[in-house]
Amino acid sequence: MLAAIICLGLIGLASAITLGFAARRFAVEVDPREQAILDVLPGVNCGACGFAGCSGFAREIAESSDITTSCPPGGATVMEKVANIMGLAPIVSDPQVAVVLCQGDNDHAKAKYRYLGINDCRAAQKLADGPKLCPGGCIGLGTCARICPFNAIEMTPAGLAVINRARCTGCGKCVASCPRRTIRLTPLDASIHVLCNSSDKGGVVRKYCSIGCIGCLICHKTTPEAYVVENNLARVVYDHHLEALPAVSKCPTHCIRDFATGYPQGSALAPATVPLHSGKAA
Amino acid sequence: MTMSRLKSFPGGLHPNDSKLATAGLPIEDCPLPPELIVPFSQHIGAPAESCVHVGQTVLKGEVIGTAKGFVSVPVHAPTSGEVIAVEPRPHQSGRLLPAVVIRPNGRETWAPGLCCAVPQELTPVELRERIWQAGLVGLGGATFPVHVKLSPPDDMPIDTLIINGVECEPFLTADHRLMLEAPQRILAGIRILRRILRVQRVYVGIEANKPDAIALLTPLFAKHGIEVVPLAVKYPQGAEKQLILACTGREVPTGGLPMVTGCVVQNVATTAAIADAILDGRPLIERICTVAGPGIATPKNLRIRVGTPLQHLVEVCGGLTCEPERILMGGPMMGAAQLSLAAPATRGTSGLLIFGPGQLPVRPEGPCIRCARCVGACPSRLLPTTISAYSRLDRYDDAEKYGAMDCIECGCCSYACPAGIPLVQGLRQAKGAILEKRRRG
Amino acid sequence: MADLLLILVSAIFVNNFVLSRFLGICPFLGVSKKVETALGMGMAVTFVMTVATVVTWYIQTFVLVPYGLEYLQTIAFILVIAALVQLVEMVVQKTSPALYQSLGIFLPLITTNCAVLGLAVLNIQKDYSFLEGVIFAIGAAGGFTLAMVLFAGLRERLELSPVPKPFRGTAIALITAGLLSLAFMGFAGLVKG
Repeated sequence: MLAAIICLGLIGLASAITLGFAARRFAVEVDPREQAILDVLPGVNCGACGFAGCSGFAREIAESSDITTSCPPGGATVMEKVANIMGLAPIVSDPQVAVVLCQGDNDHAKAKYRYLGINDCRAAQKLADGPKLCPGGCIGLGTCARICPFNAIEMTPAGLAVINRARCTGCGKCVASCPRRTIRLTPLDASIHVLCNSSDKGGVVRKYCSIGCIGCLICHKTTPEAYVVENNLARVVYDHHLEALPAVSKCPTHCIRDFATGYPQGSALAPATVPLHSGKAA
Repeated sequence: MTMSRLKSFPGGLHPNDSKLATAGLPIEDCPLPPELIVPFSQHIGAPAESCVHVGQTVLKGEVIGTAKGFVSVPVHAPTSGEVIAVEPRPHQSGRLLPAVVIRPNGRETWAPGLCCAVPQELTPVELRERIWQAGLVGLGGATFPVHVKLSPPDDMPIDTLIINGVECEPFLTADHRLMLEAPQRILAGIRILRRILRVQRVYVGIEANKPDAIALLTPLFAKHGIEVVPLAVKYPQGAEKQLILACTGREVPTGGLPMVTGCVVQNVATTAAIADAILDGRPLIERICTVAGPGIATPKNLRIRVGTPLQHLVEVCGGLTCEPERILMGGPMMGAAQLSLAAPATRGTSGLLIFGPGQLPVRPEGPCIRCARCVGACPSRLLPTTISAYSRLDRYDDAEKYGAMDCIECGCCSYACPAGIPLVQGLRQAKGAILEKRRRG
Repeated sequence: MADLLLILVSAIFVNNFVLSRFLGICPFLGVSKKVETALGMGMAVTFVMTVATVVTWYIQTFVLVPYGLEYLQTIAFILVIAALVQLVEMVVQKTSPALYQSLGIFLPLITTNCAVLGLAVLNIQKDYSFLEGVIFAIGAAGGFTLAMVLFAGLRERLELSPVPKPFRGTAIALITAGLLSLAFMGFAGLVKG
């Protein structure tokens, strides 16, 4: 019994002394805050912050004490915790979601040529500026859907990308992947959008798409503060999105959509997944 | 001249020649169309800038677009006539790009001031200057400005000139007919090039499927110390790196320029155009083009004016035999598919091929079965399936490690793939992304 | 000399620790996504295995057996291995931070790696002399590294393949590991016994 205790005790002591020396000899400076930040981050490693994964973000924050870059998937709750760890005041910003500014699927928009190549929008865009006659519309080969780390993008059977507003965290990877810049980040509580990305004149647009914006100015005339028309293309002024409702039904091509009532045609997403409109009509 | 004795390169394929329809047809002059559309972008490098306005009368060979920068050439009026528009027009890239539209007046009046010259009285610098002024670009299809190729840096000494008479693309016979019908012009061009580059050793590479050209040129050129090298019939023998390897045994190192091996390669048509430019002062306003394919009623080898709309070429060749499904500018391996026949032929248009429904097979894409046919076919000794797979996963660093930048985009891999995978497109994506990344620093 | 060679070949190929004895599967699957990390892990394990064999052999021969404390074998060995792994961790963190990051949790998990403890115990069971024990350790570690590097190479290729959806990720990795194991069964009979 005693022999056992002494034996193990001696082995333990020998190990402890060796490790003690080694610890001093091979010491590495580690910031404890870095580990604390890493613990509160979502751990998705999506890279939306611009750094190499969550550990890269944690290291950067711990070293620079700069919390202006945020973690989109983590959102305001996570950034508040990070700010607390660093002993700084949290920066408040509105949550955003991505929206595909197009409803021109194969049933509504005409093709320029028959594309027989890699199933990638960026590859198709390189050939004569894309397989659609519309220069700004969604090509529909699903590059954004595959890049989304949260599986928030649905490809409808007729070839249109639709973003699930409940799942989107605003990380922005789809925005960067779209070769036509059809996807934009918008405030989460703005549910009305002009879903068109073509700056061509109305007559030209009508030739290749039945649901595109023709720059007729009706929406602007209905509510001047809520809509601005530039380069033959209307867009919602998001500061006044609450007043944008009346123009939705007046649009002749139905290119303005209120996501509170549902997603574009062909989408299997049920309207119940859409956050309710705040109910304040103009 | 047995096949086993002929020089060649590793890899490559043997697609069906398909040259029988036009190989025996002499070159015909293509009549002028009612409108010529001359784009400012017909070459590698910066597009030319307009120096004419609507309503202006231009003369044949007059400069209508000035070169921009060193890697650029001027653009000339292909005939005399009135400028009816300077605006974006359909272009072979599928986009609408700025072009000068000329309505010919039929008089074919040459612009004044085009001077003939004796090459022996001009210095190499002066000869290069005239070549640049004549708007000369590589006529093999690459359209690289000739004066840039003839200006090697001092640390790359040149000792060999290789003339490319290979024409390895199926269907195309333009260079073949030129060699049979204008050997003296080619010879004159070679002698000018010899003077500019100060080289003695000259090879002329010709594929063995043109025995008449080889038989005609070998004795003619041998008198001037120019060696005609018969080459094994294999695609892409006409590619620059493969041609240098076959003729001289020198290999262009990975990531390096062909000039590093001490060789300069010029196409036969370019060589003849150099002779036209220096000896007769003529700028590059016309070229030989093969119009062929099952969709064309009467295939021909035409001498076409730059700016001739493809529709006009089809009409001159008896029209279409069916509704075209594929319109290719160039050869079937590396040619560019066109959106319609509205685009004009330019300095680089070596061929126009029309295919009807079902005449060019379309295979649905299947998974890679690791058969390695693409690896065996690649003349650059790359792994197309691996590079293309990395490219489609957006892993461009790995694609670069596997040598994506050495790809010459010849199309052998896509042709050989039994699963119908668009390998060249994946490789092109990778090259574009790598170059973009290098540009951003 | 021939016996030592036999022990070495047997440990690397015939009775490969990972593919025949099925020890050390955790790092085998966890660290084999890239060849560089697999190699790094292999070297760390080689160091731990070899030094652990030396130290445990001495402890067994000069402490446990003379004092009749064989029942303390497991605890004593684990103690030694844990200390060694901790040492390796410190060294790797200092000398190669990139490798430390990429190995992640699997570096301290070498402690619980049954291959290391298994090696130490097998040494005692087979009654090897000191030299035989060291050779056995080198062979075992070499076999472990070989299996991991081979598997990492295969997994790198698998990433480029169109794997059917239900099989993607760990599923196809396990199937491949099984096939690799089958392949190594081909070495059976190379060495008698």
